[in-house]
Amino acid sequence: MNTTSRQRRLTAAAVTVAALAITATACSSGSGGGDAKSAGSGTYTVWDPYPQFDKTSDWSKLVDQCGTKAGVKVKRTAFDTSDLGNKTLLAAQQGNSPDVLIVDNPVVSTLAEAGVLTTTADNKLDTSKADPNLLAAGQTGGKTYGTPIGANTLALYYNKDVLKAAGVDIASVKDWTSLTAALAKVKKAGKKGITFSAIGTEEGSFQFLPWLWGSGAKLTELDSQQAVSALTLWKDWLKEGYAPNSVLNNTQTTSWQEFASGDYAFSENGTWQLANAKKAGFGYGVLPIPAAAGGSAAAPTGGEFVTIPVQKDTGRYATSQKLVTCLTSGDNLYNTDTTLSYVAPTSEVQDKQVAANPELKPWVDAVKAAKGRTSDDLGTKYPKISEQMWKAVQSALSGSKSPKDALSEAQSAAK
Amino acid sequence: MNHTTKLPDHRSERVRSGAAIAASAPGRTIKRRRPASTQWAAWGFLAPVTVYLVLFYAYPLYRNLDLSLRDYTVRSFVQGDAPFTGLANYRRIFDDPTFAPALLHTAVFTVVCLVFQYAIGLALAVFFNQNFRLSATLRALFLVPWLLPLIVSASTWSWMLNSESGVVDAVLHAVGIAPVNWLTSPSWSLTSVIIANVWIGVPFNLVVLYSGLQSIPASLYEAAAIDGANTWQRFWRVTFPLLRPVSAITLLLGLIYTLKVFDIIWIMTKGGPADSSTTFATWSYQLGFGNLLPAFGPGAAVGNLLVIAALVFGLVHVRVQRKQALS
Amino acid sequence: MNGHRKRGRVKTTIGVVLTAVMLFPVYWMLNVSLTRDQDMRKSPPDLLPLHGTLAGYRTVLAEQLPYLATSLVIGVGTVALTVALAAPAGYALAKLRPRGGGVLGFVLLAAQMIPGIIMAMGFYAIYLQLGLLQSVPGLIVADSTLAVPFAVLIFTAFMSGIPGELLQAATTDGAGTVRTFWSIVLPISRNAVVTVSLFAFLWSWSDFVFAGTLVNGGAHEPITLGIYHYIGNNNQQWNAIMATAVVASLPAAVILVLAQRYVAAGVTAGAVKD
Repeated sequence: MNTTSRQRRLTAAAVTVAALAITATACSSGSGGGDAKSAGSGTYTVWDPYPQFDKTSDWSKLVDQCGTKAGVKVKRTAFDTSDLGNKTLLAAQQGNSPDVLIVDNPVVSTLAEAGVLTTTADNKLDTSKADPNLLAAGQTGGKTYGTPIGANTLALYYNKDVLKAAGVDIASVKDWTSLTAALAKVKKAGKKGITFSAIGTEEGSFQFLPWLWGSGAKLTELDSQQAVSALTLWKDWLKEGYAPNSVLNNTQTTSWQEFASGDYAFSENGTWQLANAKKAGFGYGVLPIPAAAGGSAAAPTGGEFVTIPVQKDTGRYATSQKLVTCLTSGDNLYNTDTTLSYVAPTSEVQDKQVAANPELKPWVDAVKAAKGRTSDDLGTKYPKISEQMWKAVQSALSGSKSPKDALSEAQSAAK
Repeated sequence: MNHTTKLPDHRSERVRSGAAIAASAPGRTIKRRRPASTQWAAWGFLAPVTVYLVLFYAYPLYRNLDLSLRDYTVRSFVQGDAPFTGLANYRRIFDDPTFAPALLHTAVFTVVCLVFQYAIGLALAVFFNQNFRLSATLRALFLVPWLLPLIVSASTWSWMLNSESGVVDAVLHAVGIAPVNWLTSPSWSLTSVIIANVWIGVPFNLVVLYSGLQSIPASLYEAAAIDGANTWQRFWRVTFPLLRPVSAITLLLGLIYTLKVFDIIWIMTKGGPADSSTTFATWSYQLGFGNLLPAFGPGAAVGNLLVIAALVFGLVHVRVQRKQALS
Repeated sequence: MNGHRKRGRVKTTIGVVLTAVMLFPVYWMLNVSLTRDQDMRKSPPDLLPLHGTLAGYRTVLAEQLPYLATSLVIGVGTVALTVALAAPAGYALAKLRPRGGGVLGFVLLAAQMIPGIIMAMGFYAIYLQLGLLQSVPGLIVADSTLAVPFAVLIFTAFMSGIPGELLQAATTDGAGTVRTFWSIVLPISRNAVVTVSLFAFLWSWSDFVFAGTLVNGGAHEPITLGIYHYIGNNNQQWNAIMATAVVASLPAAVILVLAQRYVAAGVTAGAVKD
């Protein structure tokens, strides 16, 4: 009885496997192909990472207007920014790429490498007006894969009231030593020093980069002495209590919320917080992040690129290019960047922004001095380096490794 | 099975056959003859689920296997021409320095979560079984954690365990204990995610174990009380053995769900700091989707290891069920 | 008699305390939903939202109700599909004992192990070919994969406990297998049906992976995607996020309290009450 039931079980198993195999062969011919989007249909799809803008927002209306101007209907879908890269890869695999894709700038090189994006040679997009340091993030191998919609970068916000109570003169903060001294004074006065984000994601790398570059280190040499000094700076702040332990898990939003509580003297945060800073309820100022020995550190560029993914029907590029040009044209750029709190990528619109809002001047200067993360032809090497870098920062700040060991390990893993 | 009290026969059959779940336990029921028409009817009833399984599970499973056996770059993922590399991805993850910690954390996380979820769920089930006033409403309220999307529950725990502004540390401070860096210290991060996961898992255990308790007739307890057993003995000698089949399925399902746990850990600690709370589930996601340059092959390989682990435990469960039914 | 009543009250008090401890994080969620932006990271935090704000709730009630309705429709649909698929299968595996039934049960166990994101990618590919992307029925089918294996397990376990005599009586009376299933087995399994429905509803209610991959941007999105309106690319509105969660939990909480009577009796209990 036992053997027959076992035999029956084996037969059933064999049948199941056969069914699976047949399904597999059938399906394998289907992947990578997929003709799901009918060419020539009047609807163009736009994907962006702004889920906070719904159908009634200015951004959505702008997208529709550009569509009408180009004579087509536009369907816009918003995604979570950390997910958009993967969703694009999945869609591209199935032949379902959007017509216009707005995506965070460090992702552009990954998508370009995957063959998902067209170059300016293919789509005839005019990128001549964009500032070169901003455009560099979307260029690899001598080709340009999109145009920036706006840029943001990092600086130090400071709380005037806290500094005054601690007796710190902001003009004295010029380099790392004077910054640390200011933090010590603030702590002595009973307040908290500085908050930033050192979380184990790209945000953490983004926030660490001004200090890394400010020490003179390079992304390709994470274990240099200068890099170690940058990480030691952060570690010492934590040890002395000038920075809270929560930085290890803070996003930039969380770090801002800590600053907004009014207890902190400094917060490393970005252009997009400008509107929130006005609401904060205390006097604030903005200071460029100091370099180790004085001067301003180079900060990384944030902000998205507008790109045109590859389509089966190359006839669509002409209209997509019209859409992109409309979205990044002078007036539209001004409106969009004002809504997003970004700095415009072209000098003419930057001038317009500063004329309308003089508080933006330090930010415009910061953006002009900023560097793309994937620039210097790092391209897809950057994500690997970035991951090792944030891991090293987490190891050092949490105490599991010394900054020197953490960065040596990061460098060997990132090669 | 060890019984100190005698069970009326038809109930024992019902309880035991109620435990023979889907596996091929022969059971003690009367051997029914299986005419051909019943076979056809049976497969007729099973056809929808079988087609459903083949359509929707076979393809993703095949894709996962395929992803792990080829060398996928972003380019070949999109264009579709990745070379077959056999077990290279598996060798790569075995050699990765994160493998051993991830394995250890997965084992610790799963075992500790299961033990606590089960124990607390059982204790609560027994407690609520006493039918005092409000017991039904309170029992229903215990299921509320389930209603929350995982992003919300995980975020709430993150907030509560924050080193600076978290309420847990504030309470500890008020009581005079030094604050703990729950989420940012390598020694505490795994404990924190275990606590959050136990909180989320208790309702499931409570519901299933409670219904298991319902099927134990009160007459047995009365008989045991007459025989002189106290509360603890009643629990240990009557309740616990009779709950064994339900416990087995609760633990097996709990094991499968706990092995899969990802959102809670990812949202609370991202597997860090320094990989101190990385389990296979989070590692698989991190490799495949959690960075700017996805490594689909190794990510899928880690995922498949989890599937294999679950299959092994499933086999163990079936083996144990069969042995129990035959005993 | 008096002692018994007092013991009852003590137990109720203990029950309330235990429930309060268990639900404290839910209270905290409520607390955050009423907190102003500048108090979000106050140290130490306020136990009560004394300087509260209803801004989060105002936003949510203005924007999220359509998403709630969609989630409700998806939940009900998932329940219907899950029960329709799993109940016959459970009956077959429990009573009709076909050859290969054990293998199927085992496959169901393994099926639950596939990571959600891999399933979502598979569905994406299939739906793209079938044109079911961004459709509510498509999401219903996808969400049912969360519950069907578990449901089959529960139904099999429950229906195994139905006494053979009942079914034999029906067969003697001339009823076929389908008739027996429909008129006898299903009504008796009411508790199992409610339990399965509860699990299926709750799991589809809180699903995010399938929703994010398959209906993002479609005409109808569930509440788990609606939350992402408050998670912008650079900023998150936490009081609105928590307010969404609170509002989203309310209908499900009501269903829970109403259905718990059946769930209590139902997962593996005998089919015939004493």
